[in-house]
Order: sequence, then C-alpha cells, then structure tokens
Amino acid sequence: MFEILKFPFVQNAIIGGEVVAVIAGILGPLLVFRKMSFVSVGVSHGTFAGIALGIFLGISPLGTAVIFAIVLGILIGFVSRTGKVSEDATIGTLFAFSMALGIWLISLNKGYHPDVMGYLFGDLLAISRKDVYFAIVILAITSFWYLKRGKAIIYSSFDEDFSKIVGIPVELDYYLFMAISALITVGAVNFVGVVLASSMMIAPAVSAKMLSKRFKMITFLSIIFGMVSIFVGIILSFEFNISSGPSVVFVTTTIFFISLLIKWLKNIQK
Amino acid sequence: MNELLEIKNLSVTYDGKIAVKNVNLKLELGKFHVIMGPNGGGKTTLIRAIAGLIPYSGKVSVNGTDMKKYRKSHSIGYLAQRGSQFYDMPLSAIEVVEMGRYRFKEKSNERRKNALRFLEEVDMISRADYPIGDMSGGQQQRVLIARALATESKIMLMDEPLTGMDPKSQSNFYEMIEKIKKKHGLTIIMSSHDIGFTTAYAENVFCINRELVPHNEVVKLLNEPEVVKMYGPNFRLTKHYHLHSEENDV
Repeated sequence: MFEILKFPFVQNAIIGGEVVAVIAGILGPLLVFRKMSFVSVGVSHGTFAGIALGIFLGISPLGTAVIFAIVLGILIGFVSRTGKVSEDATIGTLFAFSMALGIWLISLNKGYHPDVMGYLFGDLLAISRKDVYFAIVILAITSFWYLKRGKAIIYSSFDEDFSKIVGIPVELDYYLFMAISALITVGAVNFVGVVLASSMMIAPAVSAKMLSKRFKMITFLSIIFGMVSIFVGIILSFEFNISSGPSVVFVTTTIFFISLLIKWLKNIQK
Repeated sequence: MNELLEIKNLSVTYDGKIAVKNVNLKLELGKFHVIMGPNGGGKTTLIRAIAGLIPYSGKVSVNGTDMKKYRKSHSIGYLAQRGSQFYDMPLSAIEVVEMGRYRFKEKSNERRKNALRFLEEVDMISRADYPIGDMSGGQQQRVLIARALATESKIMLMDEPLTGMDPKSQSNFYEMIEKIKKKHGLTIIMSSHDIGFTTAYAENVFCINRELVPHNEVVKLLNEPEVVKMYGPNFRLTKHYHLHSEENDV
C-alpha cells in the first residue's frame, strides 16, 4: 500500500495536504466557535469563479482564486457585521452566484475545457510542487497571524465588548480573520476541491470539540484529525482510483462519527 | 473640589431614533452610582456610551480629560450584561481573567500570576482551571468581576449584572462589590432595573427614561412621582437592606 509514497505527485499531495491540514486545524476551531462554519462553504464555492476567471483570462487560476476568495470573504464579513443582511443569506446568495459565474466563464472558453470535476472535487494528479510551496506560504502567513493576533481573536470571540474596552482592534482583527480564512480555504480547495474544501476546515474542529473542553487541546486535536484525514484519504484515493476530495471527506466524517460515539459513551458513563 | 466623571449633553441615536437624549450628570469619583429605569429606557445605552462602545454626541470626561483621551492611558473596568459573553467558547476561568491583562504586555507566567491574584479576591482561585462554560451563573459573574478588576482601572461600569440572579446571589454580589470598591477605591456605575437591593447599597441613584429624571439622594429620588410614573400604576417598592433583614414597603 505504501509503495505509492515513492511517486513524486503523491509526495506533493501528502506534504502539501498535511500543511493545509495544519493551517485548517488552527483556524477551524475559531470558525466553529464563532459559528462561522458556513463562511468556509461560501468562500470555497466562491473560489470556483476565481479559478474560472484565471482560466478565461489565461493567467494563473491560483492567483485569481486567492484574490476572489479574499474579496468574497471580506464582503461576507462586511455585510454580516453591518447587519443589513444576515450572514447565511449573504453566503447563500453569493456562493450560488460564484458557481454560476464560474461555469459561465468556463463555457465561454472556446476550445479548451479544463477538468471541472478536478476543481470541484479535487484531483490528486493535478497537485504540483507549486501547490506545495503555496501551502507552505499560507502556513507561514497563518502562523505569523496566529502568533500575533490569535489571543486577541479568541478574546473577541468570547466577549467582543470587553475586548474593545481593553484595546483590541476588534474590527480590524475580524476582517483579517476573514481574509486569512479565505486564503486557507483556497489552500484546501487545491487538495479536496471547491465543493468539499469546507470539510477540511470544519469537520476536524467539530470532532475535536466533542472530545475536549480546552481550546488548546481542541486546536491540537483538530490539526491531528486533519493530518490523519489527508494521509489516509490520499492513500484511499490512489488505491480505489477516486477523487482525493471525497476520500479525504470520508475520513474526516468517519472521525466525526467516532468522536460522536466517544462523547455519547462518556455521557452515558456520567 | 471633588473628582468627577462628567457627562455633558450626551445623546445617542439609533437609526434615526433617539435612545438617550441630552443627559447631563456629574458623578463623584469613588462612589457607587446606579442608573435605574424601565426596560428600553436607555440604561444600557448610557453605560455603553460612557464605555466608548457606541458613538454619541456630547462629552464624557474624567476630571476634565475627555473620556476618549482618558481611555488611551487608563483602562475602564466593564461588566457586561449577562448573556453577552459566549460561554460555548472553551476558556478556563483564568484564561478569561487574563483578558483583563491584555494592555499590560506581560510574560505568560506573570500574566497568570496576576490573574490568579484577582481570582483569589473573588474567592474563585480553586476553580482557576475550570471551564467557565460549566460554571453556575454566580460563579461566572465572579470570574467576570475578577476580569474587570484585572484591568486595574479605577472606574468600573456594570450593565445589569444582576439579571437572572436569585435574591441570595444578588445579596452576595453587592457585598462583594462593596468589598472590592473599598479595597481598590473604585468608582462604580451600574445599571439596574431592580430597585430593591440597589437602594440599600448605592450611594447615588439616578433614573433614566430616554431623558434623565431629575436626581437627588436615594430616599428623595424614591419619592419622585416620576419614578412611580415610569414603573406603572401598580408599582410597589420593597426596600431590602440585607437578606433576612427587615423589609419595608416604601
């Protein structure tokens, strides 16, 4: 089974995927506790329009996806914070629009029709060394942000008013958080596809939340669950010749149900 | 001359509607002031405006220094309305208190040491590492008081801290507030719609119903026909001195 590890594209997929699992594991608990899980769904679908725009213009789809996702993330945050329209309604509207725009742009591209399924559900063979470097850059940005602003964002998640009182720039932190979430989502899209990227952000964090009441431990478990999901998912993807996205999601969901079972058994014992 | 927190012509408008209109107050520092009034009367709005959490017109100053400028060099202690914290967030009591040390730029062991000191003041040191979400309402309130104390501010704003508390917890709360006020020389400005306990402990009570009801010392205020008018024709005031002590209809 492990002989596949000698293939360079599998190495790329695993190294890059594990890096994405670490960053998604750091951010996931914050998204879950801030009740913003749906944001990653919206942003990941939004990246599809960004990818399609890159293909249409004949430039790097990754670059346009990053720009599109960050703009979309900040826009969702702005609409949500100003309270004119609810967050879920905004996401529901914008992500459908982004998917429609993506399909429209791809169908306009006469002659060359890229593998849409690969973008939607992830393609192991499409992961290049460039994608790995991209994931490492996101890891560096996320780690720097978390070291500098992590505590502040945790504080404002618990009590926004008090955070303002003690001098935390809550608004700025929020938009920065949205931008970082968008960036990480693009990283996840590269590995598990547009439709399933949110599962990398949310499922490991939700599973971890069921097993601990300590934020640090939840973040740690979230990272571990994400890393296990990527590794096992990629092996399964290769073994059964299916897209990497669904394989990874099968593992994250299995971990979710195991965590649920453990929590249930713990509650029975009390 | 006494030191003062002064509010001049303070007004707050939400979406074109006036929430607080033209409030003028001079609050002596080092005292326990209570803002009373009916629901929707503007108590929370006034507290939030003083705290600098919402925009307002007019001026708030501390000993002549504009509050916005004062806040740059001094912390303000703040105890928000119960329920405005997100207890699903898995933080321990000590992590919550450490929030109050944010401005101090301490090393983590020093921050923890200081946070423990404030938890000890509210008799919660034994629960320092316990998740705040699993605590009772009264215990959560103690931790939040420790957090407000941890800012080492001299002015503490409290927005309806007694909501949802039973009479015994309310009595305990006031006793703790009296103790910490004395120890730290605090000025406390608290909003409350409960007249009973408040009148027994407050040194200055004023009423707001969008506009300020002319205020005076507690007993005189309680006789203000405006107060009775605000709370409705069936209003009855029961004055509690302490739990188990005499109760008098006023």
